Amino acid sequence: MQFFLVTLSDSSGYILDKDGIDADKLAYVMDLKNVKRGRISEYVNKYPNAVFFKGEKPWVVACDVALPCATQNELNGEHAKQLVENGCICVAEGANMPSTPEAIYEFQKAQILFAPGKASNAGGVATSGLEMSQNSLRLSWTREEVDEKLKQIMKDIHESCVAYGKNEDGTVDYIKGANIAGFVKVADAMLAQGIV
Amino acid sequence: MEAKINAFMDLVKQRNHHEPEFLQAVQEVAETVIPYIVKNDIYHGKNILLRMVEPERLISFRVSWVDDTGEIQVNRGYRVQMNSAIGPYKGGLRFHPTVNASILKFLAFEQVFKNSLTTLPMGGGKGGSDFDPKGKSDNEIMRFCHAFMSELFRHIGHNTDVPAGDIGVGGREIGFMFGMYKKLKNSFTGVLTGKGASWGGSLIRPEATGYGDVYFAENMLQTKGDSFKGKTVVVSGSGNVAQYATEKATQLGAKVVTLSDSSGYILDKDGIDADKLAYVMDLKNVKRGRISEYVNKYPNAVFFGNAF
Repeated sequence: MQFFLVTLSDSSGYILDKDGIDADKLAYVMDLKNVKRGRISEYVNKYPNAVFFKGEKPWVVACDVALPCATQNELNGEHAKQLVENGCICVAEGANMPSTPEAIYEFQKAQILFAPGKASNAGGVATSGLEMSQNSLRLSWTREEVDEKLKQIMKDIHESCVAYGKNEDGTVDYIKGANIAGFVKVADAMLAQGIV
Repeated sequence: MEAKINAFMDLVKQRNHHEPEFLQAVQEVAETVIPYIVKNDIYHGKNILLRMVEPERLISFRVSWVDDTGEIQVNRGYRVQMNSAIGPYKGGLRFHPTVNASILKFLAFEQVFKNSLTTLPMGGGKGGSDFDPKGKSDNEIMRFCHAFMSELFRHIGHNTDVPAGDIGVGGREIGFMFGMYKKLKNSFTGVLTGKGASWGGSLIRPEATGYGDVYFAENMLQTKGDSFKGKTVVVSGSGNVAQYATEKATQLGAKVVTLSDSSGYILDKDGIDADKLAYVMDLKNVKRGRISEYVNKYPNAVFFGNAF
């Protein structure tokens, strides 16, 4: 049986070389790290068959509130555990689906406040809706008017989530609330319009 | 109940087995909505969710354009028109190399529920292209946006489908696309949102997603008699949403200590205040630089990740 060493890492991330890191490659790494004091990511410039996986995400930092605002699946189960352990009490998604299902499971198990993007990042499209209204009316509202309407819409969305997402023990499942509240309005319209 | 959900998901998987992000989004909805449907007779037995997971229309089209070296480039453009039961299709356009039918269907599906939640009359859609704006010149961005709209224009309209921005599509791109739409249709209508303030845009639109996220979190904290005041906040991303979430959280008395991009994240234990945020906005929106450069300007902060 043959064994290959296939990964090496530093604080910037890790490299995966499926062909194995043989003696020649190891000599390069030793030179890179011990003499040139470079980053392990440079390995892939020298050996293009290898892949570099980028390092860290901010979820290891202790906080009270986490706002994932980058992209889908950027926060996994391990990250979620770390956030909970560090005392995070509230996660509100600014991006779309940034938390993996494993992450959501951890948040719900710990019973911290968790808002799915379809509720908590709806302010963007809501204000797009306000832009459409202003275009149709051919007028422009002031900053304060729009901000006030946005605040009210977010409050209304929160109330809908609570109305449809309240559990028997009094806690609120915002995912359930957002999905059902969103579903009901669309489903009612579809039923009214028949099979089209 | 579990069996009902699994049976439903089996059907969806059969038809969309190669679309993991879409299946992930549908699974989450199925788990919460199917039990509700079962308990409420008016929705039961009408295959309503099965109808909702099938896009009303999915358009895929060629976008060819010429880069600065004279080379002809080909990208793929999409528009997923998911559901128009409560209003015209509405949802952003994303320009990013990872864009494919699965990503856009997941986003369009979520959009249907999200738009419904806003209480405004908007259906759900999403679109975009696998075009990578990173490293492109302004002229290349313009030529691409024009080429993209020269096909998309026939599928949208202010009463049909009103796209907006998303990742890789900001004010600059909306402007180029709006210009081409107006030229082809000879009509100035609100066919896109996220427009500039002087030509039909709304104030607060750039801030809205980030502000809204913080307003929502503040509402959640209030249910526990708590607020943002004195809280330490971790934010990922450093684009439009992250920037304005940082601004609003700071205004409400919190301390935001991180921002990130695909190269890694910065940790600033002193908090990213208004002045520092202005620097980040210039760095990301104008200079189009990397978040790692933050630590050159503010040496008390630390960068974690790789800076190439």
